[in-house]
Amino acid sequence: MVLNGVDFDLHAGEIHALLGENGAGKSTLIKILGGIHQPDAGEILLDEKQAEIYDVVVANQLGIRLIHQELSLAPNLSVGENIFLGREPLRCGLIDRRQLFCNAERLCDELGMTEIGDVQAHVSDLKVAQQQMVEIVRALSVNARILVLDEPTASLSETETESLFVILNRLREQGVGIIYISHRLGEIQRLADRVTVLRDGASIGTQESAEINQAELIRWMVGRDIPEQYERKDCKPGAVALSVQHLCNAWVHDVSFEIRYGEILGFAGLVGAGRTELARALFGVEPAESGEILVEGRLVNIKNPGDALSAGIVLVPEDRKREGLVMTGSVAFNLALPMTHEWNKDFRPDAQRRAEIVSRGIRGFNINCSNQEQAIESLSGGNQQKVVVAKWMEKRPKVLILDEPTRGVDVGAREEMFGIIRKLTDAGMAVLLISSDLPEVMRLSHRLVLYRDGQIIHEATTESITAEEIMAQLTRN
Amino acid sequence: MKRLRKFLPLLIAVVLLTAFFTITVPQGRFLTIPNLLDLVQQISINAIIAFGMTLAILIGGIDLSVGAVVALVGTVTVAMLAKVGLPIALAMGLAVAAVIGSANGYFAARTKMPPFIITLAMMMIARGMALRFNEGRPIPVPDSENIFLALGNARILNLIPVPVVIMLATFVIMTILLHRTAFGQHLFAIGGNREAARFVGIRLRLNEVVVYVICSLLAGLAGMIHASQLYSAEPASGQGFELNAIAAVVVGGTSFTGGVGTMYGTLIGAVIIGILDKGLNQMGVHFSLQYIIKGLVILGAVYMDVRRRK
Repeated sequence: MVLNGVDFDLHAGEIHALLGENGAGKSTLIKILGGIHQPDAGEILLDEKQAEIYDVVVANQLGIRLIHQELSLAPNLSVGENIFLGREPLRCGLIDRRQLFCNAERLCDELGMTEIGDVQAHVSDLKVAQQQMVEIVRALSVNARILVLDEPTASLSETETESLFVILNRLREQGVGIIYISHRLGEIQRLADRVTVLRDGASIGTQESAEINQAELIRWMVGRDIPEQYERKDCKPGAVALSVQHLCNAWVHDVSFEIRYGEILGFAGLVGAGRTELARALFGVEPAESGEILVEGRLVNIKNPGDALSAGIVLVPEDRKREGLVMTGSVAFNLALPMTHEWNKDFRPDAQRRAEIVSRGIRGFNINCSNQEQAIESLSGGNQQKVVVAKWMEKRPKVLILDEPTRGVDVGAREEMFGIIRKLTDAGMAVLLISSDLPEVMRLSHRLVLYRDGQIIHEATTESITAEEIMAQLTRN
Repeated sequence: MKRLRKFLPLLIAVVLLTAFFTITVPQGRFLTIPNLLDLVQQISINAIIAFGMTLAILIGGIDLSVGAVVALVGTVTVAMLAKVGLPIALAMGLAVAAVIGSANGYFAARTKMPPFIITLAMMMIARGMALRFNEGRPIPVPDSENIFLALGNARILNLIPVPVVIMLATFVIMTILLHRTAFGQHLFAIGGNREAARFVGIRLRLNEVVVYVICSLLAGLAGMIHASQLYSAEPASGQGFELNAIAAVVVGGTSFTGGVGTMYGTLIGAVIIGILDKGLNQMGVHFSLQYIIKGLVILGAVYMDVRRRK
């Protein structure tokens, strides 16, 4: 139920850009084209004939080639072996490795992907940009009629991007239809013939890209009116709770900011901007290598999550099923877990003490469950998310980091989560909110930080910046 | 050259162990041709099983049932020898192995049960079936069955033991299968990134079933050789063979998480374990100590491998 009425057409010999905010349904749409997901309703026509793309093999036979956002290569095989995986050149029934590497090399040369280098090198030894190129070469090594690229330039340098564009232009001249997904508006205007914008799983419209300017595109993408100052109480910020100075590690590049008690600091950015990595650095999952973290003005050394917890920092992670909850446990199990030392002293578990902790969490956060021991798996996404937040509250944290707190949560539960976040802030907590949903982060935050490529590129009060300006900054080439 | 460099640590281990035992085994009894032939004969069974195990571990699975299959196939084959003659008895033995392998593969590919549990259950089932023959008592191989007895005991040109020849032949076939065919290539892809393999249209289930069938068939072959060597089918034999095979595979550098491994490595792994067994025995080390040393060697070998890969 991600898509809801998408109309889209692609001509041969055209580059058609697909635009939309995070979660607008772009990836789902192309997964349907690639035979990975099936549509519930509607039809796909190829050359005016109805096409049933019920699996990947069929999609390949129809000449539809996908280049995924997440790389799908076998890291333990060589470049050449990956390119020809599933259709290795054979001689007398055995793989003809010489031929394979020879073909791979020729293909890379033809496509101008010389930066891949040695086709006998293992993919795991390659840089991400090179791996991306291997994917592109693989997709183009069979006769593709429709090529779908999902953010292909996200990890490419400028020169690499240029050579990709040359290739795409050449393919367009050869009559290949290309669907191009990117957040970088400048790229799209340079490259694409037409642009279609998706919003909330529906197509908003299609335009010749020459006839539309960036400002209009951004307005299309953001769409919804964002209520100014929606219910946002005036912030009465207290003392500085968290101060971060020149924080660095492999993913975080010299990040400095402050959050005061009673304040929500929103981190706006596109998926992959590196905000989760920043949260993980602050929580000690992948600790910072240099820079300072101060809580209430005192320098703290955070090398693991235990350090962060004792400093009063808690993290509600992005992926609640993998990192936030023990999915095999009950509501009570998860709520009581962080407080084990409270109810289980000297090997004598105190069931009553545990039940108190648990029921405080359930009541305080209005968690909808039939009893404490209900399996966490049987709860709705929204209620699961409430458990992830609630389980920390007994610890009375000073700083709460929320990474995409409303992901996979329905509209009602989303509003409830907003209420919870506001309540906690009113009670004086300092909140760092990461959200890829721009209206959401604008609605809640007192101040906004625009984050991109592991860096803060702009900081502003929410009143002083518009959604259009934010999008323009985040998508600028 | 690249391949040689990869195996250098293992080859050095072989040389060092050989040198060590050449010095420590009394009266220079270790480094003699007859002794070494004896050694390769003793590792043949483990190596044959380990070749199949390599495939299972390579795709991220495991086969714990091989030891029981050794016993079951040996028992079935020997029991049938007198009744239906050699060729049909051999065929029946291998058929039993194929059935067990298919069952392992079917459950592994079709259900979400982990291969560890499936093959653990199959190990018990196969062992039980072997013990049902002849009420668990050994079945002697009739003296008239010359060819069957030759399988485990004869020496070609009065020098090279037949099991060694069979082992080397298996090695060559399995090496070609894994390193030269599209099938082998796809196993690497499945072990390395299952989703990537699926996205290029590799048939995961079929490949998985074939792997477990091959694994079982090789265990069956080892079972026949084993029965021949013992001059009888022992329903209780083959206990712990699966663990020895796994040890050879991991010492040989196959990654337990799948996607990385070679047949050459497994062969050398089996040789290293064989040298340890024989050398320590000839040194007169108490068997309790032998276990401890073997455990430490496996731990060390795998630790070095993991570190090198990092």
